[in-house]
Amino acid sequence: MSRPKRTKEISRRKFIGGTGAALVAATAAPAIHAQENAQARTTGSPRSTIHLTINGKSQNVEVEDRWTLVEVLRDHLNLPGTKIGCDRGECGACTVLLEGKPVYSCSQLAVWMDGKSIQTVEGLEHNGKLDPLQQSFMDHDAPQCGFCTSGQLMSAKACLTSHPHATRDEVRAAMTGNICRCSNYNRYVAATLAVAGTGIDPKIVMIDDASGEPFKTLTTVGHPTTRIDARQRVTGKAIYTLDVNLPGMLYARVLRSPHPHANIRSIDVSKALAMPGVKAVITHENCKYIFGAGSIAGGRQYVEEIKKITKQRRYAFNNPVRFVGEPVAAVAAIDRHIAEEALQLITVDYEVLPFVLDQEDALKPGAPQIWPDGNISLDIKNEAKPMRESRGNIEEGLRISDRVFEDRYTTTFVHNAQMEPRSSVAAWDGEKLTVYTPTGGIANCRTDTARDLGIPLENVRIICQYMGGNFGNKNQNQDADIIAATLAKQAGAPVKLEMSRREDFIGMHGRWPTTQYYKVGVANDGTLKALQLRGYSGMGPYRKNSGAIGGIEIYKVPHLDYTAYPVYTNKTVSGNFRGPEFPQGHFGIQSMMDDVAYKVGMDPVDFALKNMSRQAGDEHPYTNYTLEECIRRGAAAFEWKKRWRAKPGSDTGSVKRGAGFAFLVFRSALGRSSAAIDVTPEGRYVLHVGVTDVGAGAKTTMGMIAAEALDVPLSQVDVIWGDTARCPYSVGESGSRTTMQTGWAVIEAARDLKRQIADKGMPKGTNLLSAMATPNPMVADGKVRACFGAHFVEVEVDMAVGHVRVLKYVAVHDSGRIMNPLTASGQVKGAVMMGIGMALHEELLYDPRSGQPLTPGYYGHRVSTHMDAPEVEVIFIESDDGYGAFGSKSIGESGKIPAVPAIGNAIFNATGHRMKDLPIRRDRLVGVFA
Amino acid sequence: MKTLSNANPRDLQQAVSLARDARRAGNSASFAGGGSDLLGMVKEGIVKPDVLVHLRAIKGQDQVETKAGRVHVGGLITLDTLNHHPLIHGKYAVLAEAAGTVATPQIRNAGTLAGNVCQRPWCWYFRNGFPCFKAGGNTCFSITGENQFHAIFGGGPSFIVHPSDTAPALMALDATFRVVGPSGERTLAAADFFTLPKVNAARENALGEDELLASVEFPEARPGTRSTYNKVMDREAWTHAVVSAAIVLDMDGNVCRSARIVLGGVAPIPWRVPDAERLLTGQRVTPELTARVAEAAVAGANPLAKNAYKVPLTREIVQRSVLALAARA
Repeated sequence: MSRPKRTKEISRRKFIGGTGAALVAATAAPAIHAQENAQARTTGSPRSTIHLTINGKSQNVEVEDRWTLVEVLRDHLNLPGTKIGCDRGECGACTVLLEGKPVYSCSQLAVWMDGKSIQTVEGLEHNGKLDPLQQSFMDHDAPQCGFCTSGQLMSAKACLTSHPHATRDEVRAAMTGNICRCSNYNRYVAATLAVAGTGIDPKIVMIDDASGEPFKTLTTVGHPTTRIDARQRVTGKAIYTLDVNLPGMLYARVLRSPHPHANIRSIDVSKALAMPGVKAVITHENCKYIFGAGSIAGGRQYVEEIKKITKQRRYAFNNPVRFVGEPVAAVAAIDRHIAEEALQLITVDYEVLPFVLDQEDALKPGAPQIWPDGNISLDIKNEAKPMRESRGNIEEGLRISDRVFEDRYTTTFVHNAQMEPRSSVAAWDGEKLTVYTPTGGIANCRTDTARDLGIPLENVRIICQYMGGNFGNKNQNQDADIIAATLAKQAGAPVKLEMSRREDFIGMHGRWPTTQYYKVGVANDGTLKALQLRGYSGMGPYRKNSGAIGGIEIYKVPHLDYTAYPVYTNKTVSGNFRGPEFPQGHFGIQSMMDDVAYKVGMDPVDFALKNMSRQAGDEHPYTNYTLEECIRRGAAAFEWKKRWRAKPGSDTGSVKRGAGFAFLVFRSALGRSSAAIDVTPEGRYVLHVGVTDVGAGAKTTMGMIAAEALDVPLSQVDVIWGDTARCPYSVGESGSRTTMQTGWAVIEAARDLKRQIADKGMPKGTNLLSAMATPNPMVADGKVRACFGAHFVEVEVDMAVGHVRVLKYVAVHDSGRIMNPLTASGQVKGAVMMGIGMALHEELLYDPRSGQPLTPGYYGHRVSTHMDAPEVEVIFIESDDGYGAFGSKSIGESGKIPAVPAIGNAIFNATGHRMKDLPIRRDRLVGVFA
Repeated sequence: MKTLSNANPRDLQQAVSLARDARRAGNSASFAGGGSDLLGMVKEGIVKPDVLVHLRAIKGQDQVETKAGRVHVGGLITLDTLNHHPLIHGKYAVLAEAAGTVATPQIRNAGTLAGNVCQRPWCWYFRNGFPCFKAGGNTCFSITGENQFHAIFGGGPSFIVHPSDTAPALMALDATFRVVGPSGERTLAAADFFTLPKVNAARENALGEDELLASVEFPEARPGTRSTYNKVMDREAWTHAVVSAAIVLDMDGNVCRSARIVLGGVAPIPWRVPDAERLLTGQRVTPELTARVAEAAVAGANPLAKNAYKVPLTREIVQRSVLALAARA
């Protein structure tokens, strides 16, 4: 192997003031702050007048006694920077300072604040000058989606006020009441320590791919760049869907099924309709729209063709109801509390049906049938068939193997748990519908909404300015959008539908749980001969995605047999969640292979190098291939040979250390997307891209790509995003493909514009020059694009108490050319942390007897906190395969994939016990060691 | 949230009167201390108060005072203040440490000692609206359901575990509980304040309908007394105790004059283990002895289907805590 041509380490000091991209995020969305306050209308609930000092300003406020402080701040005092993530004191998005100390403003009644002084994120700025913490958060790219940022800031502020030189541990402890589901904990802490003067900025290591083409350094792309909207994210000025208020707007809430499976005999909504303040009530009887994206056959995009043929239709309201949390009715009222109270007045007569929760149980004889066609999810042709793939002859392969190993692995339902709970604001203007909704794909959401409601595409406008996290299945519409639009139509007024955190957990979607049976045949020298997987995926009662179990394709094996059954159950719906089919599948296969490696007496790294596939699907060459380099470099940086125990569990005593490893290959396909660029006579370049920016930094990346392609500084580019009326089609932020696909369109549009400028000169007067491109690039020569990576982790397991601590984590990734190292490394860090959470404690647990979910919400689901987050070291191997935008490949999802098996493998190496069921909870660990 | 009205009492007596008056008028009332947990339950419809009596409106009930050999702690002291209070931090570390492990800084800044001691169970059946004993029903759903966090001691008919961190610490400090009600005050020993489900399956303590916990008091520590609180969580922050141990050792050099060991997370009340304590009395604290102490601490444990791991976990936590505390200079 040749030596690298370039290795660099980027420190914060180096890049602050570097590119200095202070680009104006030019968005001119319609006025979305109501002049009139919708909730000021009286409801008859007891009221009090209180005196508050907010951000130094004293005022009297009349409140209903039941209003929480956050409600008053957001809805009545026009301070929407404080967010509601859970409304239960479990997440920290609503953190404000009460007499200088952080509290959850969702867990305080406003009336209790009489005479008190409160500081919100809006009070951090002074005379337009940011607080040093806000500046540091920007510089460190601490906010990803930004929804938790205000709360993080307030906790950091309180921490540094009482401990100006706080240590890392003090900062983590002080901020641990603030969950960041993007899991950018490292950056929040680093940003705070930088202000305290007690931190050392971790480096982002960038290395050239030694095997690739000479790597050309670019002007804007590739340099750590502050997000163009970073200031909005640290000042509370970013407008999320829940922050949208329209004149005359009503509030909607949804009544959900308390049963996992039931027929609705009748619904009586008369009392709810008669309640003063209630403007509309809908149920399956008067809202019959299909929610197409809610059950996409075989994981395909739901389209008109499928709509025509599919036998299993999911409606916005279904009868029977098939999971706890399925919508039964929705109410729009002048006030959210009235809407909630009206739900209590709806009586539903249910015929309770038998239910099934587990994907294997659902296929047993006599299991309750969730659909007339049975419990195997139908595919696009309405056929109840498992997904299959085979190569060679599995029986023969197992027969000729020297040794054959069999095992069973299970993974559980884990929820996306993005910080922003689902919501939707719908407004009709005649036949024209505008929906504000958290979607990573405004174009697809628009198509879906028009199709589901049966209205022309041109009558639908989708807006999403900021979005509080994605992590999957948000490149579509959701039932909330259909329900809000229907209520708004009926009521003749705009409607904001809000979902509680509990509703978001049980009413949306999460990762499908799986049961995986493996058979692996090897020769005595460790060469793989045969690999069989029979798997079962629990889809909930609607198939919102494929239910595939990914991972076996990363091994080179002559005899392969894969069968995966997507199975209906009465749990909540499974859908995309960061690397849809891979983290659960890789946990199974990479645990299995790790185990086989030990059993044949090999180092798992050597076993992987021997048996991993160096071609896609073992037959198509990659456009570039660095997996081996990722593994070798990772092993070196991690000091694998030093940390790995040749004999698992060999440390003496109860506290044992060990190291684990796993690798990844993730698709980086090209595809169609669009972009448009105008240039003004003043020389400003206005880029229109249909991205939302779910947290990964797409707006900034698109601006950087445009600047690079136009050969202008980033400060000359304005980006227009998040509004279908102002942006062309975009592929949408799923599959980690925005940079590659929409970025490519940006380059093509820029080239066209440059040609026009060369031909015609710059525009004059009121003219513009415009270019638009919708390329659909293909990879030549049957090659396949993929990103690669290898993760190495050292854990310490206290066997007597079942405690796992991550001591060191090194993640090496080749995601092609890195557009913005700052945001890219944050993606890897966050993904790793999510993977650790999935490996160790996250789970939406169900009660087996009642079919009720027991752990919805951040507390129950055990979402990782600041205190759970180790420092994740990120190394990028950069390459340019000539595709993607400037050689970019996928990144956002990929980091989660190997993290889960790497943790499990490290626990095995430390303890000698193979943990085969997720999550690897304390009770399970103590159970096996006791 | 349901319609409700807030009432700001002047003093504790008025607080209980307001609650009693509300009930007499046919309304339900709840006392709100820090309010964090209560509001969550109101939003979920688990508690449905018409009147909230806002206790933080009362002044002066958040002090720590030493009088006549006893330390008095006002029920409205916040957990954060308690955690950092010089006297508590210095001489009654078990209580400071327990307060410091509760939930998150935000909750500790609002939450009160009395509220923490009296908070309702965090059993997922109760919190998810099941009609269990704690919700006034007559079933414990954990027995045949998901019971990995449930009781291994003192269970039946309900198998909840007591959710408070400060309660085991207070019991280990031999605290008494001053209760104020409409007809006056009473002071209860811990053994009388916390009640097992077999006594009253619907509640966790002896508080009457309109009574509240006003303050706690405990004897001043003898010189040589040291204490600690160790809590096991199933993520690194913001969970209730899977298992915890509140330990107070009265030491004379390396000989233990007397000990109190109270477990959290294992029983429907803070669970004192007198047999384990007695083993320490008058003894040098050695690894061999602490192993026997730990064994005695889990004697009689009666786990359910999915919580047997709590037995070795408790044993280990007790052994480690006692040994480390005894070795502390």
